[in-house]
Amino acid sequence: MKRRLFVASTVSSALAACAPIGTALNGNSGFHNLLGSAQALNHALIDTHGMAKEYTERDISSEFPIDSLPTPSDANYTALLKSGFRDYKLIVDGAVQRRGVFPLAMLERMCNETQITRHDCVEGWSVVAKWSGIRLSAILDLVGPRSDARSVVFHCLDKDDQGTPYYESLDLHQARHPQTILAMRMNNRPLPPDHGGPVRLKVPTQLGYKSAKWIGRIEVVGSFANIYAGGGGYWEDQGYEWYAGI
Amino acid sequence: MKAGERIYRYAVATRASHWVWVLAFAVLVSSGLQIFNAAPFLDASDTTNPAHRVLEIASPSDGVGTTTIAGHTFVTTGWLGYTDDGMGGRAPRAFPGWITIPAYQDLADGRRWHLFFAWIAIVCGLAWLISAAMKGSLQNMILRPSDIPKLWPMQAYYLKLRKDPPPHGIYNPLQKAAYTFVLVVLAPVIVLTGIALSPGIDAIAHPLTWIFGGRQFARLWHFVAMVALIGFFLVHTFQVLTQGVLNQMNAMITGWYRLDKSDGVGP
Repeated sequence: MKRRLFVASTVSSALAACAPIGTALNGNSGFHNLLGSAQALNHALIDTHGMAKEYTERDISSEFPIDSLPTPSDANYTALLKSGFRDYKLIVDGAVQRRGVFPLAMLERMCNETQITRHDCVEGWSVVAKWSGIRLSAILDLVGPRSDARSVVFHCLDKDDQGTPYYESLDLHQARHPQTILAMRMNNRPLPPDHGGPVRLKVPTQLGYKSAKWIGRIEVVGSFANIYAGGGGYWEDQGYEWYAGI
Repeated sequence: MKAGERIYRYAVATRASHWVWVLAFAVLVSSGLQIFNAAPFLDASDTTNPAHRVLEIASPSDGVGTTTIAGHTFVTTGWLGYTDDGMGGRAPRAFPGWITIPAYQDLADGRRWHLFFAWIAIVCGLAWLISAAMKGSLQNMILRPSDIPKLWPMQAYYLKLRKDPPPHGIYNPLQKAAYTFVLVVLAPVIVLTGIALSPGIDAIAHPLTWIFGGRQFARLWHFVAMVALIGFFLVHTFQVLTQGVLNQMNAMITGWYRLDKSDGVGP
């Protein structure tokens, strides 16, 4: 009986030690990087090969959580909002042959792509909404990425409470996926400010944090290693995976 | 073979994968609960829908934790909903810090641990499966129709309602039933439902998510399969502790097992 008690207490203390040991290992940068290596495997295997499931109008969720950094409230955005985004211009520059400046009216005229897709948040919840806009590939075709271009970085108008701006990035392959769109309309209405109006990204083949809201500027780059903390996105800089297909 | 005789019971692949799984299972459960904490509810539907909510762990007011299962709410302060925040205090948090990796709330790192050890568990599982199938040892573990009449006599033996266990092979009929359920149902379900949560994989294979009833439903099955595997782990550990713990532990470390009366080999 004593032996059983001994083994039982050994097993239970080993289990109870699991969380503290894990927490301690989590702080070790070498181990932390090792854990992150699964991302490369997942990216290589899954990538953006598939087409996200398209839903019907009937499937549209009645509520879409507003789960992002706060809607911008700076003078610039407030002025844009007041004018009904009449003065909004999307700038596309960086490693491109022709720098592009797209006023909202022009983007709206180009709007020819609609999708009803599911938005899967990294937290675990899912909602379906209808989005209309332009394929990002159409914009890229207009500006012509140079041969050294590898990634597309989205600079956003929202900032966290420390003043750090939101940004995201995709590789050219993900950016040219036919379902990767710049959305100007949501559920048959102009994209509301809280959902990223006037222009947001929708990447239905990856988790929600990739679908950046309030896009101000798109920068085509060879590498995003020197942009902000180098992770390729606001959440990526805080430890989330750059490849968010899983 | 008779009781007291020593046999070489576990091949090195079985022993190695067994202990890798112990580690991977502990990490996957605790990092999985960390991930669950970011959206502490489970819906039997494709998209998030409170009308189809099966489980919700919440903190409806400061200092109170509740758990709602199929519409029935229980106060679970300290255990679920309002718990140890992993930093020495208490906070609105579904599963407590002592059971999550990392202990404090950190979805990004929880995912890091989970997605890494998911690969370890899958690769280890496939390697073991191939090795066991090639050696033919897999068939000792799978429940056959002829084992079914022996299930109750074996249970009766464990309950001390019967003096001797029914005669059986290397594993008794209850062990075979448990192993078969884990190998054929729980392991595939927990792997496939985990994979079905990936929007990238869903885009490649819609039917995978569909057969589980949609994405949130897959999340629910993933959780249910975890609970069932914890159940298996508890019964398994109880059996090891009560059926000659040192002999069992020695066998899973060195491979050599001393036959016991419960092995149905006679005195």
